[in-house]
Amino acid sequence: MEDMIFYDRLQFAFTITFHYIFPQLTMGLSLLIVYFKWKYLRNKIEKYNDAAKFFMKIFAINFTMGVVTGIPMEFQFGTNWAKFSELTGGIIGQTLAMEGLFSFFLESSFLALFIFGEKLMGQKLHLLTGFLVFLGSWASGWFILATNAWMQHPVGYEILDNGKFVLENFSALFGNPWLLPAFLHNQLASVVTSSFVVASIGAFYILRNKQIEYGKLFLKTGVIFGLISSILVAFPTGDWNAKNVAKYQPAAFAAMEGIFETENAGAEIVLIGQPNMVEKKLDNKIAVPNVLSFLTYQKWDKQIIGMDKFEKEELPDNIPALYYSYHIMVGLGTIFMAIMALAAFLLWRKKLYKSKALLWAIMFLVPFPYIANLTGWYTAELGRQPYLVYGLLRTTEGVSPTVSSGNTLFTLLGFVALYMLLGLLFLVLVGKTINQGPKHQTH
Amino acid sequence: MTGTLISLISILIGIIAANGLGFLIKKYSFGVIGNTIAGVFGSILFIKIFGRLGFNPWSIMNNGDFDGFLLLLNLVVSGIGGALGLILAKMMYHKFNKP
Repeated sequence: MEDMIFYDRLQFAFTITFHYIFPQLTMGLSLLIVYFKWKYLRNKIEKYNDAAKFFMKIFAINFTMGVVTGIPMEFQFGTNWAKFSELTGGIIGQTLAMEGLFSFFLESSFLALFIFGEKLMGQKLHLLTGFLVFLGSWASGWFILATNAWMQHPVGYEILDNGKFVLENFSALFGNPWLLPAFLHNQLASVVTSSFVVASIGAFYILRNKQIEYGKLFLKTGVIFGLISSILVAFPTGDWNAKNVAKYQPAAFAAMEGIFETENAGAEIVLIGQPNMVEKKLDNKIAVPNVLSFLTYQKWDKQIIGMDKFEKEELPDNIPALYYSYHIMVGLGTIFMAIMALAAFLLWRKKLYKSKALLWAIMFLVPFPYIANLTGWYTAELGRQPYLVYGLLRTTEGVSPTVSSGNTLFTLLGFVALYMLLGLLFLVLVGKTINQGPKHQTH
Repeated sequence: MTGTLISLISILIGIIAANGLGFLIKKYSFGVIGNTIAGVFGSILFIKIFGRLGFNPWSIMNNGDFDGFLLLLNLVVSGIGGALGLILAKMMYHKFNKP
């Protein structure tokens, strides 16, 4: 049984990690595409329109890859996690179906219109189609996060005699206090990723001394959007999320912050340290006293419950992974703010385009917002353990009893091989698009 | 999950077919990027529609049995779907961009 759960979780973690590379870019990029198109309508400078069409091409490649890698996700609910689907289908089935019916179709239909229909529709309608693509992709995020928010903090449900969950209050599902902060945090994090992608393509063009005009536009736009979004992702949305975790999942909060023992006179914030699970302490830690209590409750001496006050069965089952995921996310977020603030300062001083070291740094930082987004999701998912539905349904109770670990391992290896092919294809297609640049707008 | 694996293989076949058609008949080509996108959606559309006739990825490995003929049929339909997806996309493009 333990083997089965391990392989089912591993397969889900692998497929969702690979899948989330794509939507995290499309959600943020759709906002920047609308911005470029809107700027074009305002000032009629052709390069803004070229930029919108160029990034819609990159959007389309990512969207397609997202669709392909999303297929295994929906099936895994029915195959590897059949018990979970059977018990909670009355609730999560609604939000997931809405995601497919409303958001996906909105996004895909208007994506085709945006790519093909500029000449036929005219510029204002072209902007509208871009906006609807943006709306579809953000609505998609909303419905997925509504599903996840219910798993993190279940509301508006009733449990029947047969153990099945049914929706008792529809508005509670979308008014879940977990949902809005999680949605805003997630969407802004995806804007950070796309800002870095846009800025790095700009830096690449400038460093290569090709398509300089576009390079400057991309870099400037990426830096401005990147600075604003990387600040907002930390405060207020990140802060709001952390307070929710402290309130609704105190065991997860203690684990992700590395608080092994309850400190009555205010808890310290750990900057660096390694969880020692044998001695139940952090090794080599650097911490600032009382700051965690202040950030969480705005009181320097407020007590924060440590892991010592929880039963072992209530604590997340992989505390080091949770702790590191959270600290990597926070650490990278801080670096993004610093880099983007420096870039914005140099932009203001008109020195950015000549600062080669910073241009190289921006270009090579591209993988890191992806890592920050993924570790953010790992934090949420590892923190929810050992539950699938927090406090109500354990992970061990949601797994399919009939799918063997050998079967899951076999298909996992198949996914690894296929995703390597897809990943290679993705890199070739995106590389080709960037190499061609926005000046070659052919369909 | 084997059905899902076969679905992904079907999509890859769709991509290859669309790019193959684009390579052989240039007037249908959108370039590698466009052909790939059209191939993905064409193969998904065709498998979703015609898979109902009994050769969808889930009936290929039913109850531990493997049906090679159904797999072949599935791959052929995916390939046709990818190629037709490209033709449909090109028709749509011409319709939208009439001079």
